[in-house]
Amino acid sequence: MKILEIKNVHKIYNSSEVKVHAVNGVSLDFEKGEFAAIVGPSGSGKTTLLNMIGGLDTPSDGEIIVDQTNLAGLKSSALIDFRMRNIGFVFQSYNLIPVLTAKENVEFIMSLQKWNKKERDDRTFELLKAVGLEDRINSRPSKLSGGQQQRVAVARALASKPKFVLADEPTANLDSKSTETLLDIMEQLNKEEGITFIFSTHDARVVKKARRVITLEDGKVISDERKN
Amino acid sequence: MNNLKLAWRNLWRNRRRTLITSASIFFAVFFALFMRSLQLGSYDHMYKNAIESYTGYIQVQHKDFWEEKIVDNTFPYDRQLEQRILADANVTATIPRFESFALASNGPQTKGVMVMGVDPEKEEHLSKVTDKMVKYKLSAASIELIKQDSNLPEKIKELAPLFENSTYTTASRLQLDLGISDKDAGQWMPAIEQYSRFDNGHIEMGEPGVWVGEKLSSYLKLGIGDTIVLISQGYHATTAAGKYEIKGIVKLPLPDIDNKIVYLPLDICQGLYNAEGNLTSLALAVKDNKDRAIAGTVERIGGLVSGEKRVMEWREMNDVMVSQMDADDKGGQIMLGILYLVIAFGIFGTVLMLTAERKREFGVLVAIGMQKKKLSSVITLEMLLIGMLGLLAGVIVATILILYGVNHPLIFKGEMALMFEEYGMEPQFAFWTIDIYYISQILIVLAMVLLAIVYPLRKIFTMKVVNALRA
Ligand SMILES: Nc1ncnc2c1ncn2[C@@H]1O[C@H](COP(=O)(O)OP(=O)(O)OP(=O)(O)O)[C@@H](O)[C@H]1O
Ligand SMILES: [Mg+2]
Repeated sequence: MKILEIKNVHKIYNSSEVKVHAVNGVSLDFEKGEFAAIVGPSGSGKTTLLNMIGGLDTPSDGEIIVDQTNLAGLKSSALIDFRMRNIGFVFQSYNLIPVLTAKENVEFIMSLQKWNKKERDDRTFELLKAVGLEDRINSRPSKLSGGQQQRVAVARALASKPKFVLADEPTANLDSKSTETLLDIMEQLNKEEGITFIFSTHDARVVKKARRVITLEDGKVISDERKN
Repeated sequence: MNNLKLAWRNLWRNRRRTLITSASIFFAVFFALFMRSLQLGSYDHMYKNAIESYTGYIQVQHKDFWEEKIVDNTFPYDRQLEQRILADANVTATIPRFESFALASNGPQTKGVMVMGVDPEKEEHLSKVTDKMVKYKLSAASIELIKQDSNLPEKIKELAPLFENSTYTTASRLQLDLGISDKDAGQWMPAIEQYSRFDNGHIEMGEPGVWVGEKLSSYLKLGIGDTIVLISQGYHATTAAGKYEIKGIVKLPLPDIDNKIVYLPLDICQGLYNAEGNLTSLALAVKDNKDRAIAGTVERIGGLVSGEKRVMEWREMNDVMVSQMDADDKGGQIMLGILYLVIAFGIFGTVLMLTAERKREFGVLVAIGMQKKKLSSVITLEMLLIGMLGLLAGVIVATILILYGVNHPLIFKGEMALMFEEYGMEPQFAFWTIDIYYISQILIVLAMVLLAIVYPLRKIFTMKVVNALRA
């Protein structure tokens, strides 16, 4: 089942005198349950592509279809709502709302969606347990390590049962131990719960764990390999 | 997680900045209210003093008297007209007066004075001169008596000489100068009142005799029983001159009048100026002194008086004071304007920093699904909370002090009192109670906060999530 189709997407930045073709005719399909890494040198267009997939940025040309919904057809507030219900995000850093505890951060989208308290509590606990932080539920982000913060971010991304989770270099600011823990958790969630992850990375150890590796260069896909 | 809870948490993420911003709003609100109360209270007090001890709210005058205050510009005292004026619903009494100038002398001391021919009984309806008579005086003799009284404490004996020759219209004022608390008043004051009692005589229609202002009496070195000589020009350029015994000393709250006032019985005064039966003015005591009621009364009385006379209201008659107060009022408002400008910059600075600091956070929130409208209401709530914190604290503290001040006017004594009097003011701070001026100050602060909120809201609504995330 295709959950994401990227059809001949381009992104051209015209900001200064130089025209930058950041994403240059990318076409990709993703199935439910993938664990895919997007790699490539700095400036190859990974972030730009992920932002467009997540509906945070609009393509200059081409189409992005998430589970049969063309993102181009959504107006700004409908798009925000669509993101909330269908796409999970993990950013490189400063993901969490500093004034909220781990639990409240994870709960946040659920309360935006007006889930009742019991449902919220159960789901939050389940998710924080899945990322191994059930004993830190009442800590604010400033009291958590970088790795723990990213794990809370993963839990939050999963809160509203999204179609897929996008993570742009989620381990870039983590030491190798935390990187490994985070990847193990993501892998486990992928294997056991069938959650789809699409992440970009520079880290060879992270790439090794991916079951699909898409390589970008100058905004173009130069290889797309599936393992086992 | 509702909006209010999130806003409240945000409020305390930079505790110091929140407190500084709220404190500056508090200060502005407090200062503005306190100052307005003081200004309005003192204007009201000054006007009341001027009106009640001098002009009254309304007067009927000869049409030229105001421009040229000479004896020729007088009019016959018309009892029929007086009856018709008294029939007006808002008029409670008519007070006939003959007002002019004279040169007063006592030996080598000479001074231009204001002569007021009055009916002492009728004045009780308006200027209540008897209330303003000096009732106590710390003369050298009375201080000696205080010193000899072994029941009185040393503190009072030490203080009393500092106020030698001070005069008082009330015992409470005397008590204040001698530093006697209300608690001790019952114990010490009866004796002190007895030692310093100052007895005035009456002036009555048909009997020569005068009351003089306390400042004038001390300038001319005149006391009760002494004689004052008045020289002036009478009706149709006749000479006016007379010698009168001083029967009493009055202490008027307006120092500028106190230093030149001489009260004479109305008929004696008319005789002095060879203008028997004439008045310079017929002052009216009114039931309702609000501006609207006064205007209505002026109009009705205007319909009663003939062409030779005119009706004036207190604002015209106290025009110098009114324009002084207006100027002072404007000055005060400009000061408040500057204050608010400074505070507005403070609020805006906070908003600017807050918005810049949270750019990335706003990006994350909208990326994961928070609607911009909801984010905006959180920020609006946060700013309103900061504003309300300051506003509420300012209003509460100002109100407590203002209400206290209304019930306990601040009366200055000694040196401070003299300083006030030099500027022609009564040495007293009067406060104006809670009134519509509260609303305008509160609205100004709210408007500033709301205006400041426009900035982050604009930023949020024009924000591109990708750009915000890059911050
Ligand atoms: N807002 C923008 N305006 C102009 N050019 C941009 C903008 N954002 C990205 N670019 C350019 O587009 C190209 C792709 O950038 P992008 O950030 O997608 O690369 P990346 O693969 O994520 O790199 P990195 O590994 O360093 O994160 C780069 O040349 C970059 O300079
Ligand atoms: Mg990137």
